[in-house]
Amino acid sequence: MPAPKSKTKPKSAARKRAAQGVSMAGALAEAAWSEADAALAQALVEFDEADGAANAADREDAMARLAQSLTRTARKRGLSRIGGLGESVAFDPAEHELNAPVAKTPKNVRIQARGVTRGGEILEKPRVTPVEQKRRS
Amino acid sequence: MTDWTLCIDFGTAFSKAAAAPVGAWSAFEPAGVRPLLLSPDGQGNAFLLDSAVFVDEDRVLFGRAALARAEEIGDKKRQALRSFKTLLSVSDLERALNANAPATIDPHRVFQMRDLVVLYLAYLLAAVERGAASDTMIAQGRIASRRYAAPAWRSGDSAGMHDIIVRLFGEAEEFRNAAGRRMLMAEGIPLRTISDALPKASQNAESLEMGLIFEATAAAAYSSIGLEGAASHLIVVDMGAGTTDIAALARIGSRTMELPEARVTLKQAGDFLDQVIANRVIESASWARGAEQKAELWNVLMRQMADIKEAVFVDGRAVLRNQGRSITINLRDVEKDVDFREFGKSLRQAYDHALSVVRDDARARGRSEVHAIAVGGGASTPLIRELIQRKAGSVRPRVIARPATPQWAHSRTFAGNLAPVFPQLAIAIGGALAPDSMLAALGGASRPANDRSGTPAERD
Repeated sequence: MPAPKSKTKPKSAARKRAAQGVSMAGALAEAAWSEADAALAQALVEFDEADGAANAADREDAMARLAQSLTRTARKRGLSRIGGLGESVAFDPAEHELNAPVAKTPKNVRIQARGVTRGGEILEKPRVTPVEQKRRS
Repeated sequence: MTDWTLCIDFGTAFSKAAAAPVGAWSAFEPAGVRPLLLSPDGQGNAFLLDSAVFVDEDRVLFGRAALARAEEIGDKKRQALRSFKTLLSVSDLERALNANAPATIDPHRVFQMRDLVVLYLAYLLAAVERGAASDTMIAQGRIASRRYAAPAWRSGDSAGMHDIIVRLFGEAEEFRNAAGRRMLMAEGIPLRTISDALPKASQNAESLEMGLIFEATAAAAYSSIGLEGAASHLIVVDMGAGTTDIAALARIGSRTMELPEARVTLKQAGDFLDQVIANRVIESASWARGAEQKAELWNVLMRQMADIKEAVFVDGRAVLRNQGRSITINLRDVEKDVDFREFGKSLRQAYDHALSVVRDDARARGRSEVHAIAVGGGASTPLIRELIQRKAGSVRPRVIARPATPQWAHSRTFAGNLAPVFPQLAIAIGGALAPDSMLAALGGASRPANDRSGTPAERD
């Protein structure tokens, strides 16, 4: 028995090409990753150097290069840091992660590790510790 | 069916293209911004097309294939042609195009520079068409208008330069049609095909209908689109590889014009900063004393300079390794360099001059704000960032520094992926978004870019 004829119209060449197209966000991500890949690969090598350093000076150098490679990877992927190391700020539980258990919610905190954001979205909150209030004498 | 505006930006190293719906300026949606995939071969950034042509034994290669072949041969006397942008910016363009290509580029001595430019543009147009066809949104509509972005011509004869360039694009389009699918094949085009088809293409071609947008205007377009309070006056600082250009723009009614008296070009830019950094490192490298060691260190530095420069200017220092030694370059050391300080001084003077021109114009028209924007590879240097944030006080018209990557590029539509690559695609995107009134020359008919007739003063 012959197969029933399809009632749908054949796709135009343009629509066929369109169907093969990739999403814009995906293509942009691939473009960004193509530049980040080299920096990430370098970071992995620097990590081994830091891990197996023979002395403190070599380790410090390798750590500086590792930090640089990771920072470059992050930049190529559009990530940026939140806050400054050691900075004292008002505590906001939506924007900070306490690095130590506390009995009472602190008013001010110090940034121990910076957070990471991309395009306004917080990917990792800054890690903070409470700032001890100066006692009045 | 959506009509699209397409803009091509042929840069020194890479060409880029982007499309936006016609009318995007008045009804802006970030999702309508469509950079085109020009190199979908899975190697590197697919939005960038290498600006390169290599004349091989019996064929001409384009893009990445051209660079790969030049590297494979590894002969210092043979090289790929890359400097299209420089060539197209010279004041006597006709003469430059009619010059024979040097033997290092064309060992057969059969091509004029014009031929190689036409061949590259044919390759670029083919890549643009493939990119547009593979885009899910553009493929359902049609390309209604095309533009190209260029620096403000320094000769001042914008109309004359534009006419030559749309003619080159016309010849390229004719050749592309003759070459068909072969245009994008990695093996390139045989010399015999070129010698048959290129003269016919030149004879039969008509100028391609393309508009011209100045790069500074494209920057103004992507920077101010969608802003409720977009400023009528802008100052744009563009630090590329070879020059730092400062331009001022004024939007009067529906038209955007350049204020030519504000335009300044400095011959120091990215390449100059590379040399300053490399010289500082070599001076401080006590172990590299011989000429050979210094030359080797120079080469190592230059190979990694893009990364080094970014780390120095954005993070404050760069650390690199050479022959088991760790080398640290601090921004403070670079800023102490005498040449660097001289450049900073010249840059500030040039900026202050241009700013004074644009503020005077804004004041005369009763406008309250001037927006300052930095573009190009040097936009992230502290020197430029500090410059555009100067004079941001309360004296009217106020100067407001705009971010190098506009807020809309962080839209959730792009899932955070446009912003990291935005600086590379910015000019093509801005050129596609700009309304016709911002063009220096419309498709076909040319008019001088700085024609200020019929622009009465208006107030906010």
